[in-house]
Amino acid sequence: MRKLLCGTLMAAAALSLNAQSVKIGWFGPETGDSALWGQAELATVQMMAEDYNAKGGITVGGKKYKVEIVAYDDKGDSVEAVNVTKRLISQDKVVAIVGAQGSGEAIPVAPIVNEAKIPLVCSTATNPKVTVNDNGSINAFVFRACFTDPYQGKVAAYFANQKLGKKKAAIFMTIDDPYSTGLSQFFKESFEKLGGKVVAEVSYTSGEKDFRAPLTKIKAANPDVIFIPAYYNDVALAAKQARELGIKTLLLGGDGWPSDNLISLAGKSLEGCLFVNHLDFDGAAAKPMRDEYKKKYNKNAELNSYMVHDALAMVVDAMQRAKSVEPVAIQKALTTCDLQGITGHIKIGPNHDPVGKEAWLIKIVGPDMKFQEKFAAKD
Amino acid sequence: MGMEYIQGIAILIGINLIAVLGLSILTGFTGLFSFGHGGFMAIGAYISAIVSTRLGLPAPIAFPAAILAGALAAGLVSVFIGKLTLNLKGDYFCIATMGFGEATRVILNNVDYVGGARGWANLPQFTTWWIVLVLDVAIVLLAWNIINSRHGRNMVAVREEELAAQMAGVNTFRSKMTALIVSAALAGIAGALMANYIQFIRPTMFNMAKSTDLTIMVIFGGLGSISGSIVGTILLVSLPEVFRNFAQWRLVIYGLAVIIIMVGRPQGIMGGVEMTPAGIRKIFAARRAKAKLEAELKAAEQGDAA
Amino acid sequence: MDQFLQQLVNGLSIGVIYALMAVGYSLVYSIMNFSNFAHGSVIMLGAYFGFYALTKLGVPFYVAFFIAAMATATIAVILERLAYKPLRDRRAPFLYFIITAMGASIFIDNSVIATIGPTPKTFPTELLPTFFQGDPLEWGALTVGRVDIAIFLVAATCLALLMIFIDFTKLGKAIQATAYNMKASALMGINPNFVIILVFAIGGGLAGMAGVLYGMKYQVFPQMSAITLKSFIAAVFGGLGSLPGALLGSVLLALIETFVSGYLSTQYRDLFAFIILIGMLVVRPSGIMGKDAEDKA
Repeated sequence: MRKLLCGTLMAAAALSLNAQSVKIGWFGPETGDSALWGQAELATVQMMAEDYNAKGGITVGGKKYKVEIVAYDDKGDSVEAVNVTKRLISQDKVVAIVGAQGSGEAIPVAPIVNEAKIPLVCSTATNPKVTVNDNGSINAFVFRACFTDPYQGKVAAYFANQKLGKKKAAIFMTIDDPYSTGLSQFFKESFEKLGGKVVAEVSYTSGEKDFRAPLTKIKAANPDVIFIPAYYNDVALAAKQARELGIKTLLLGGDGWPSDNLISLAGKSLEGCLFVNHLDFDGAAAKPMRDEYKKKYNKNAELNSYMVHDALAMVVDAMQRAKSVEPVAIQKALTTCDLQGITGHIKIGPNHDPVGKEAWLIKIVGPDMKFQEKFAAKD
Repeated sequence: MGMEYIQGIAILIGINLIAVLGLSILTGFTGLFSFGHGGFMAIGAYISAIVSTRLGLPAPIAFPAAILAGALAAGLVSVFIGKLTLNLKGDYFCIATMGFGEATRVILNNVDYVGGARGWANLPQFTTWWIVLVLDVAIVLLAWNIINSRHGRNMVAVREEELAAQMAGVNTFRSKMTALIVSAALAGIAGALMANYIQFIRPTMFNMAKSTDLTIMVIFGGLGSISGSIVGTILLVSLPEVFRNFAQWRLVIYGLAVIIIMVGRPQGIMGGVEMTPAGIRKIFAARRAKAKLEAELKAAEQGDAA
Repeated sequence: MDQFLQQLVNGLSIGVIYALMAVGYSLVYSIMNFSNFAHGSVIMLGAYFGFYALTKLGVPFYVAFFIAAMATATIAVILERLAYKPLRDRRAPFLYFIITAMGASIFIDNSVIATIGPTPKTFPTELLPTFFQGDPLEWGALTVGRVDIAIFLVAATCLALLMIFIDFTKLGKAIQATAYNMKASALMGINPNFVIILVFAIGGGLAGMAGVLYGMKYQVFPQMSAITLKSFIAAVFGGLGSLPGALLGSVLLALIETFVSGYLSTQYRDLFAFIILIGMLVVRPSGIMGKDAEDKA
């Protein structure tokens, strides 16, 4: 009898010991201008961790692990990003990091994670330099769940020229935002390669709210489409002011557009306009997460929520394939990642970027964003 | 505790301290308020980045040369700015420094050679804990010497009552210019160190928010106190780490604290006194004198009553 | 030619907003002889008050506008009483005022960010008077937004009323006298405290109106105080302490900015503003119409 009791107790103890936890770090802008996206990402990873843990944790190599998210605010600041990454690595001893939604925060952090050999999967950092350095070398421990700006620019140009038949484009970009200038540059290259002509390239400085002067210049050039690779609040302003100036041209945008607030800020001025997105918010793949998020937080999930979901899914998938929670093993598995995420098919290529990931063209109809079609570039 | 993390914080404190000491000399001792010292840090950072990467110097020389170049460049620009604006009333100087800080950022955003708005990545990692410590000690000594010299006393005279100082024969323009150049050069050094620590520089890292951050550190420590500036910097760089949960309220509290400090206790934490043996003795002597006076008053009252 | 006229209209429509902001700031400067850097935050609060009065309280637009102006006038006076008066009483060095103003600005801005949040808001067109709901007005190739017309009318009216008040009423003369020499006016029986409160109230009220109009023209967001840097430059440009100067400086600055960004490039717009500022400070610090800069002894 006593032996049975002891045995049971020991088995119970062994089982509870078995539910170890694995620490995954997250950092992003909980405060600052991009707080909307940072907070959305944090809410998502916390929700995912709870889901995993409700099922007893994730199974890696036969053992169960509870997922513990260690989160820090990078305030949208490069220096702070470096700070918190160091904290995550040396203090909290995380095995992987997700998030780093801004390229300006991901780029300085790359050398740190490379040296410490902790893998980082970025959610929406689209600047090419995040994974590939100026001298061509690849950041061994940095990956991303999103497509890059060159790809996005190409897709936008393709849609504009081939699908919508536009021949004369004007570009209106944020001059001091590398996301915006990068995207414009790639759009222009592709658009002209397809036979179109960029008739005006006008810019504004971030923080500026009055765009009438540059928009008047665009009006004078008479384009049939205006590409605005900027963030939703500036886009809304630009659209409103353009309409007030009598510019009735179609507006086209990138992944900086999608936000819950875009349409409420822009009113009618974005009716019928289109933008390139990482996924279709209303699509079947996104629906389960969208509903769960709405039920839990009573808010609509933002683009970043879906992206960071896939970033975390990539990490968990890597762990499971490597049958290990060791950072180096995770990194190795990430290089061969081939996962169907809710934002599309993520197959990591030699540059640590997803190859041939679909982009989705979305149209604004009334208060909704309606999916038009999707496109995956071959190269 | 993660050693690398703590070292990181210590390095940040050390780097900020250099800029804060400079600003302390300018604002705390000479009474000039600058909204644009982020601009001097930026100049230091970018010039040092050019020197350490584009000039092809061998490693042992590159870093010191970079820091020196950064300091010199910032100092030179400050001479130019100073000549234009130091003759004007204090208000105008403030607005002019604001303009300078923002203009620097705008210019850097548009210069592709240094990366423009994208920033410049992959700078060499030169800044270590030891280098920062050594530089800090050296600069604290330098600041101490300046303040306790004739130059320092002239600066305080300018702060207190400029017209009277002029009448007393002080070349107020020269004093203000000296303070400006020193503060700019120190900010330049801080910028250079920052560039080689974060290994990435971007114009937004040196915007007006950075300038006001530095000024707040001076104010918290107390205007007119070197040890105050040291305490202020340590507190304001490390406290946000401790109070991460209240991140959103950090600036709200800082703003309120600045008002309360200026209205209630402009001497800040250190009370305008330095943490030296003489300073500490002064504090105790003052307390003893006050106690003695109160005792005498009480005795006199009782004597009257009796 | 069409583009030139349109850019002219663009410039004027911004200039009028700068003017409303700059005049309040200049008014306070003329009395207190210091730059109230918290002015921008008060403008921002005006926009939020207007927004919430309109959307949450559901009052008609004109009432919301009035509420915003009253609220900011009150806040400006409270700020003066709590933060600046103690410094004045202690005859604190001028540096302290600037630092305190900066502190107040940081406090107010970040309080809004921490409570309401940093996401911008926009005045819903359905709640505005029907005048604003139509399409922009067009004359040939020239388009003028309806909000711009309203802003122009409101600003012109306010500024005209203000000038009349300052030049022709007894209170206005009292303000002028205090601006000229506070001590002497006090000796003549003008209560400086009362004048200061009045000036801050007027300045605050103007700020509130400017905030609402700015919010209507663009968006309502907590970082608005950064935009007011331009109005500071405009005030200096036209002459700190002079109200017609603030108006002139604002319009000129806005026109220069617009033409630079329209014909050269937007990148240089801010740079030009700063060059003008520095240039003005070097060549003629008192600005275009300012009083000659006496040393503050």
